[in-house]
Amino acid sequence: MSCCNCNDTKIDLSLLDAVLDEYAGIPGSLITILQKAQDIYGYLPTSVIYKVADATSCTPAKVMGVATFYTQFRFKPVGKYLIMLCKGTACHVNGSDTIAKTISEELGITDGETTEDGLFSLSFVACLGCCSLSPVMMINDETYGSLTPAKVKEILDDIRHREVQSI
Amino acid sequence: MKIAVGQGSCGIAAGAQKVSDALKKCLEKSGISVGVTGCIGMCWLEPIVDIYDNDNTLHRLVRVSEKDSERIAEAVKTNDFSQVEKLEITDEDNSFLEKQTRIALRNCGIIDPDDINAYVDAGGYSALSKVLNNMSAEDVIEEIKISGLAGRGGAGFPTWFKWNAARQSQGQEKYLICNADEGDPGAFMDRAVIESDPHTLIEGMLIGAFAIGASHAVVYVRAEYPLAIIRLQNAIEQAKKAGFIGENILGSNFSCDFRIKAGAGAFVCGEETALIESLEGNRGMPRLKPPFPAQAGYWHKPSNINNVETFANVAWIISNGGNAFAAMGTPDSKGTKVFALTGKIKRGGLVEIPMGKTLRDVIFDIGGGIRDNKEFKAVQMGGPSGGCIPAHLLDTVIDYKELGKTGAIMGSGGMVVMDESTCMVQMAKFFLDFTAKESCGKCVHCRIGTKRMQEILTRITEGNGKDGDIELLEELCSGIKDGALCGLGQTAPNPVLTTIKYFRNEYEAHINNKKCPAKECRDLLSYEIDSEKCKGCTLCARKCPANAITGQVKSAHIINPSVCIKCGQCAAACKFGAISVK
Amino acid sequence: MNQIKITINGKVCQCDEGEYILKVAQDNGIEIPNLCNHESVAAYGACGLCTIEIIDDGNGRALPKLMRACATKAMNGYVVSYDTERTNRARKIALELLMSDHDGDCIGPCRLNCPAQTDCQKYLKQIASGDYHGAVETIKDKLPLPASIGRVCPHPCEQNCRRQYVEESLSIAQLKAYAADMDLKSDTFRAIGKPDTGKKVSIIGGGPAGLTAAYFLRLKGHSVTIYDMMPKMGGMLRYGIPAYRLPKDVLDREISEIELHGVEFINNCRIGVDITLDEIKNISDAVIAAPGAWKSMSMRVKGEELNGVIGGIDFLRPISGAETTPDLSGKKVAVCGGGNTAMDACRTAVRCGADKVYVIYRRTRNEMPAEDIEISEAIEEGVEFKFLTNPDEIIGVDGAVSQIKLQVMELGEADASGRRSPVAVEGKFEFLDVDMVIMAIGQTIEPSGFESIEKTKKGTISAEEGTFLTSIEKVFSIGDATNNGASIAIAAIGDANKCADVVDSYLSGEIKPYTAPYVSERRLSDIDFTSKEMSARIKMPVRNAEIRKKDFYEVNLGFEDDRQVRTEAARCLECGCHDYEDCKLIKYANMQEIKPLRFDGVKNTNPIEQKLIAIERNPSKCILCGLCVRICEDVAKKGILGLVGRGFTTVIKPEFNNDDIVSVCKNCKKCFEACPTGALKLI
Repeated sequence: MSCCNCNDTKIDLSLLDAVLDEYAGIPGSLITILQKAQDIYGYLPTSVIYKVADATSCTPAKVMGVATFYTQFRFKPVGKYLIMLCKGTACHVNGSDTIAKTISEELGITDGETTEDGLFSLSFVACLGCCSLSPVMMINDETYGSLTPAKVKEILDDIRHREVQSI
Repeated sequence: MKIAVGQGSCGIAAGAQKVSDALKKCLEKSGISVGVTGCIGMCWLEPIVDIYDNDNTLHRLVRVSEKDSERIAEAVKTNDFSQVEKLEITDEDNSFLEKQTRIALRNCGIIDPDDINAYVDAGGYSALSKVLNNMSAEDVIEEIKISGLAGRGGAGFPTWFKWNAARQSQGQEKYLICNADEGDPGAFMDRAVIESDPHTLIEGMLIGAFAIGASHAVVYVRAEYPLAIIRLQNAIEQAKKAGFIGENILGSNFSCDFRIKAGAGAFVCGEETALIESLEGNRGMPRLKPPFPAQAGYWHKPSNINNVETFANVAWIISNGGNAFAAMGTPDSKGTKVFALTGKIKRGGLVEIPMGKTLRDVIFDIGGGIRDNKEFKAVQMGGPSGGCIPAHLLDTVIDYKELGKTGAIMGSGGMVVMDESTCMVQMAKFFLDFTAKESCGKCVHCRIGTKRMQEILTRITEGNGKDGDIELLEELCSGIKDGALCGLGQTAPNPVLTTIKYFRNEYEAHINNKKCPAKECRDLLSYEIDSEKCKGCTLCARKCPANAITGQVKSAHIINPSVCIKCGQCAAACKFGAISVK
Repeated sequence: MNQIKITINGKVCQCDEGEYILKVAQDNGIEIPNLCNHESVAAYGACGLCTIEIIDDGNGRALPKLMRACATKAMNGYVVSYDTERTNRARKIALELLMSDHDGDCIGPCRLNCPAQTDCQKYLKQIASGDYHGAVETIKDKLPLPASIGRVCPHPCEQNCRRQYVEESLSIAQLKAYAADMDLKSDTFRAIGKPDTGKKVSIIGGGPAGLTAAYFLRLKGHSVTIYDMMPKMGGMLRYGIPAYRLPKDVLDREISEIELHGVEFINNCRIGVDITLDEIKNISDAVIAAPGAWKSMSMRVKGEELNGVIGGIDFLRPISGAETTPDLSGKKVAVCGGGNTAMDACRTAVRCGADKVYVIYRRTRNEMPAEDIEISEAIEEGVEFKFLTNPDEIIGVDGAVSQIKLQVMELGEADASGRRSPVAVEGKFEFLDVDMVIMAIGQTIEPSGFESIEKTKKGTISAEEGTFLTSIEKVFSIGDATNNGASIAIAAIGDANKCADVVDSYLSGEIKPYTAPYVSERRLSDIDFTSKEMSARIKMPVRNAEIRKKDFYEVNLGFEDDRQVRTEAARCLECGCHDYEDCKLIKYANMQEIKPLRFDGVKNTNPIEQKLIAIERNPSKCILCGLCVRICEDVAKKGILGLVGRGFTTVIKPEFNNDDIVSVCKNCKKCFEACPTGALKLI
């Protein structure tokens, strides 16, 4: 957790107002608020956590405690493409470790890291529930199944290629 | 003529959305619309397109790709399906469905999950109507009692008993909660039900809420299921409009609101008290029991928590009577059970069968046995809380008691099949990696105990196992089972205990001989080139990323074991089968 | 509330129905182990130590699962046990797991390695604050002769002092001597003894072991008599160690302190000659044999019978004890051996005016067991060291020593102790002209008078480990005469204070053997020394070699002033835990025989931080019982502390926004008071 290092000065906290207006008054909405906040900012900057704490009458320690308990929440910005690699049982049996290795070799990042160019982040996730297509990964909203190292390389190359062309 | 493309999460992952879009484009001018269904559960055949022709005969086209769309459109337009004959499901594949008995999954893959009318047309909400018009809460509980329905989340606790406890608990405000935090890696039954037939869940929950006297219903869905959340939200809106949710439902005195709460990624929240903590916006750490949720649960009000599949059976039981449900199964376990059959299986997918069938029935008869002509080795049931059942117990009857005797559990329905190439120590390590990562950290036994088990298993798979490690694991397991606070910790040792029980020789091979019989543990492998078979083509030497292979052109090569990183690329590249792994 | 009855470990307890069983036990004086429970907050169930088995639920049924006493409500007729095989196993595993993840030192390596377990860290702190009287009180809890031992001890404490990884270890022994000297000068500390018990203990031997045992047994109220063969008490401290290391007036003062407590001294009384062991036994409730090791060991070389060949202790005894100095002028002396006795002998020989003094040692300086400072000072005083030589024969003329023949050696393979063994270089010899040969290769027991006691193979008195009991009823044995034989004075003192406890328990009817407590220790490799500021050890001034070698006055001049002493003592890194005496975790860990090392693995360590107003937090000692978090939230109503992360790496942190002190902390210290371990410390 390196929440203190983020550059929070560029965070527009007013984007949060609508969410807080809707949920801050409803007891037990902390997780929902944090989810919506992450949808807005892509991660949970420290200043957002303080604002949420303030609005929900929780202490910052409590908000941080909740946010760090759940794997969904991030405290650093993620890359443009978030690769979620399934580590479920079926994917394990069908070789997700090899897929993880391939991604790491291709991108030079491992679980929880982001490439230097900010293009990719890698996150190992619990079962995505697409077990019969295992091994599986999701990149942003798209699911890719029956992966092989070659297929993974192709998918990543495609994205990179698209990115280069769009510049 | 009716066309629907199966679009559950995994169908979409297999390309169903693209097929659907392509079909729509091809049929744009014909005025024939392309519908949506959920998941039929034949995942190895995705994407699947169901077409009812003009004679209302079903043509089930499988493994369809975008490029098939024009031909399919043509077939639809001409009502001549001979041109897509190759895509039609084979009888053998179809037997997968025919051998099942579907109650919880009765509408899955058949109706449009986004359309409440489709559910109503299939008899939906009639059970709710029956309950509200003709039954008392006690009647409902009695009917459930007769049915013998037990909690499908894993523990198998009688549903009526929980309902009755919550009903009798003092308090005006009560909650009915659905646990859709399907966290077992390798299980997707709940996701399939919500994505494919959300109203079944809603109806079952409303009946449950009526029975216990709850006016609030909440579904806790895990965050990794975005499509399920969307479809369920849509279904809730439609049910509200249709008067099934809200004040004075169907003109009765019964009122109930309904909402979804999305989880945020924590397996332990499948434990009911942790789930309640999470619902209240806290860290999902289990509470001490007692008090049980039926006495003081969500906001310390009487609460009842059941899993998705449990609720999915309720409307059917009310409509068909508890006896009809109880007629299926064994003396110990009634009704049907849904399994997610995955792993090294030929036909993986959703299977619903009456209790009392054997594991062999499911894996070989329905699932078609092992892929690639390999040997069946074990089946893992119950996820991280369950265990591995070996080949000699394949005739075990599917029943809470009988499965419990093996050391595994019924679990929520994950059934991961393993073949000879799966290392059982790795399997145990995989689950301990999982539980150690998912431990909430509250109690000592689980927080440190799972970490230590994981460390011991890791060293065994890396060739650093020590004499006495098996006994150490066993002792640790028994301490954790007794000492951990919640179900997650208490059952965390099961994968270790069952693999030691049935595959002790594999552990011993790792520890004593530093060998992995399944050849999965990389650190314990050694690659060798058979000088008779090697032609000296140099391909392996060129492929080797560690430069561990040397040799002259056209003469046998050798691998330097101290440099070899055991990546296996050489063996994969060799065209002469000269490289063996030991 | 209904009054009901439940049974906890056989004790019937009356309580309100629905009361938690842990509370019922507490109210009835039964301690069920627990770490995460506190009366001010709700039950939590994290530690898993309060596991109980409900053997009977009041209806004749046993409950299948283990329960937590903190969260299980009492129901009428419950029969509860908290020490069944199952509860103990679950509790033992919990404690082993907790300790396997605990990165802290219960006690510092100084105390851990002191055979007498003197609480060095505590008295150093007292010395640093100028509280010499308090320091002596701390020391005398384990060791009644601090001024003497401080001067002569080879100080295993200093050898293990972690300050050496910063620059140099602390001058612990000298600081102890200084504090004790100051204390002797005025208002000497005197412990208050317990009332007389009427039991009589006799001690044979008035050396450090006998004196120490006498002191502690006397304080426990027993009547104690010491029998000693020499004219004065002190044993080896008086008759073995020369006055230039330990001035005899210092020793006299400390021994008289022991006498003041009412210990009876009988001198010039030799066992087997003046009185028999049986006679002593018959007039005592317990006997402690601590006769020491007064017989020099033979080198087993030809010529030992010659005039001029003498044992090290035989040479030293008349000189050290009576300060009668033989005139060795014009003589050449060879001292054989590499230990502290050899150093005492060679330096004494120098002071007796010998022309030339050699030390014959078969290995090199690196392997010498003597303290390095002794070797340096001997060299300064003109002693010549003949390393890698071994006496082969003592050659005489007319029955008197004239030469010693030395076998030249070289170092071979390392032996079991890690020292390289000397190997003879075949056929290579050296000859030295000498008039005297002092054999200082070790001492053993003089068995006469103790014939009836069973001996070890070495010839020492055999005493049972833990109880110190010999083969003879009510006779205990400690010190140099026992088991492994001669060692350093502090080891004999360590034996003595443990034996005093054992004898005390024996006298009260049930003998309780000594067992070493389990303590948590940090791995040296895990400790960061680089952040410590360097502060050099203060050098002890000594008298000039040319002057000191002519007399027996003390070589050390002592610290210059109080300021120096306090500066040196303040160098202590305080490795040991401030909470060791009150720590619940270590208390429970010692209630079972635990072996955390079998679960050795990664530890969840985090840096120490000082964010709360007056509390230092050490997360590496935290057991995540959550008491501080819950109390801050529920009792102090502040909620500053929170759990961060989950699973094994969970850590408790205060608000994370700034690196300064958390400003909303109201410094109520309630978290500190509730913490069951040393994770929280007042600053």
